[in-house]
Amino acid sequence: MKFGHVFKETLRNEGFPPEWVDSAISYSQLKKCINRLTDELAQVGLNPSTLGTLLKQVEDYNASTEQNDDQDRPFEYILAGDDSAGLPREHRKPFHPKLLFYVDEATGEVHSAKLDEDTRSKLQMLAVATGVSQLRVYEEPDQQSIASKDSVDPPSPPGGVNSASGIRKRPGYRTVEIPLTSDTEFFAKLTSQLSGLEALQDKEEKRMHAQIEELGKQVAHLTDPDKRLNKKLIPVWRQIFQIYIESGIFFGTTERDHKAHDADKAAQRFLEFSDKIARQGLVEKFKKPESLQALNSFMHVNREILQGLRFGQINHMAMLKILKKFDKQTALGVKSTFPKQIEFPEFSEHLAKAVCAEVNTQVISHVPLLDDYSCPMCMELKWRPVKLRCGHVFCIRCLIVMQTNKQHKCPLCRELTVVDANSANLDLELADFLKKWFPDEVKAKQKYNELMAGIDQYGEVYKEKCNVM
Amino acid sequence: MALSKRIIKETQRLAEDAVPGISAVPHDDNLRYFDVTIDGPSQSPYEGGVFKAELFLPDDYPMTPPKIRFLTRIYHPNIDRLGRICLDVLKSNWSPALQIRTILLSIQALLGAPNPDDPLANDVAQAWKQDEQAAIATAREWTEKHAKP
Repeated sequence: MKFGHVFKETLRNEGFPPEWVDSAISYSQLKKCINRLTDELAQVGLNPSTLGTLLKQVEDYNASTEQNDDQDRPFEYILAGDDSAGLPREHRKPFHPKLLFYVDEATGEVHSAKLDEDTRSKLQMLAVATGVSQLRVYEEPDQQSIASKDSVDPPSPPGGVNSASGIRKRPGYRTVEIPLTSDTEFFAKLTSQLSGLEALQDKEEKRMHAQIEELGKQVAHLTDPDKRLNKKLIPVWRQIFQIYIESGIFFGTTERDHKAHDADKAAQRFLEFSDKIARQGLVEKFKKPESLQALNSFMHVNREILQGLRFGQINHMAMLKILKKFDKQTALGVKSTFPKQIEFPEFSEHLAKAVCAEVNTQVISHVPLLDDYSCPMCMELKWRPVKLRCGHVFCIRCLIVMQTNKQHKCPLCRELTVVDANSANLDLELADFLKKWFPDEVKAKQKYNELMAGIDQYGEVYKEKCNVM
Repeated sequence: MALSKRIIKETQRLAEDAVPGISAVPHDDNLRYFDVTIDGPSQSPYEGGVFKAELFLPDDYPMTPPKIRFLTRIYHPNIDRLGRICLDVLKSNWSPALQIRTILLSIQALLGAPNPDDPLANDVAQAWKQDEQAAIATAREWTEKHAKP
């Protein structure tokens, strides 16, 4: 299937908002521009195969002599306007591309400086045969340069088309500009669409910002540990967010996979995430409509990020494809230079990153996760928390074992701080926090600690329950 | 003795978030006993080799370090004929906050940076000090001979 068709179908079927579809790169219009351009080129005898053969001749010659020098190219296609690249986008001039030929002033031969006589004459024959010699028709007469055509000195002061800025001067040769209009139209259209896409992205980012902030408030309210009604729901939210983080939807979090994901991979990961929370029956645990609604809007935000990612990706693809087409139909070799001049506004890189960061800080951070409060030794909840003099916090059980073993150094910094830890080191503030947010885990760990303390005191036979009956 | 939460978590993470160039898989019948492989670091004489090792977590792990030994023969000044490894974090500098993955990474780093001044295999260390180039060539030979699948 042709890309133009695929692009259109995707825009129509993926459920993008109409505003997005309107801002998408108009592939078919740009294609028409290219067609008009090929017509223009054909009128001056430059069909793509002619330009292609000209280029290939030179490239073959370069390859055979193992040099690669752009100076040898018989023509040059300049995307003017790159000198303003440092300016903010809105001040940047639209592209004004130029197609320039270098013609020997004396003979009217197409220039290719370092080619040997043989190749040059072949080129000349080719030029004549395919009508490139008609180029001179468009040459503006310039008395001064004709007068000085025999001298080896740099050519006369530029006149006419020669005055265009940024064009390399080649002694003894004259530059001839082929007048074209459709290419200007093409690039003007493409650049304005790209800035349109960028504006859209800014707007979307602001909108999602507000949405996420609202969701964050909602989640904060629903998981307030001081409200008794929330008690049963906090672990559910925690589990959902834990699975969400482990799913690494938009960015990998493992050693092997630590890059941003493309739309397909992110979509797949998102599916896995929703499957997982459904399978664990987490959604059914939300009885109240507010909870369900908050979860829905959390899922919705994620779907929107996904959609933005896909939209950016397909537009980027459209841009690359249309430039490739441009080159194929005109053989002007623009694809390799174009993206340097104007970067594509990266939805994938930018929007997803910004929004994900916000989801993390505004929404997920409301519910403390177990991993952030586990003891680095037993990897269970740090209950009861003891803060050593060096500032590192562990659970009391692990430190008692260390002291009994006469292991005196802090496991994290190796400072001699375990040895003199005592009840004054209990971190009461953290203890309150843990009791509030992890009541179940605190209970379990408390039971375990008491059991182990009993074993320490009475030996392995100690059981937590009295067995007299 | 029941498996601690710590060992379960470590094993899980070793499987789900594997370290490139390192694997550690527990035995089905003894979850404290791991089959380990370590890829020789690039730009070392062990490059291209896959070195097998065994790792055992004692009952009081993580208060005491894991016991680990190379099974593949390796020519290295800090690893002896029996595969025993001379590495401070496996002995005096062990900390209960270290893990299987961090220890294996340290061992991989040791392969990349042999330390003949603190030898375990005396003959190898001496050879290393006398003629480093020759020792490296021998290490490469051994890798070729013993550590290629």
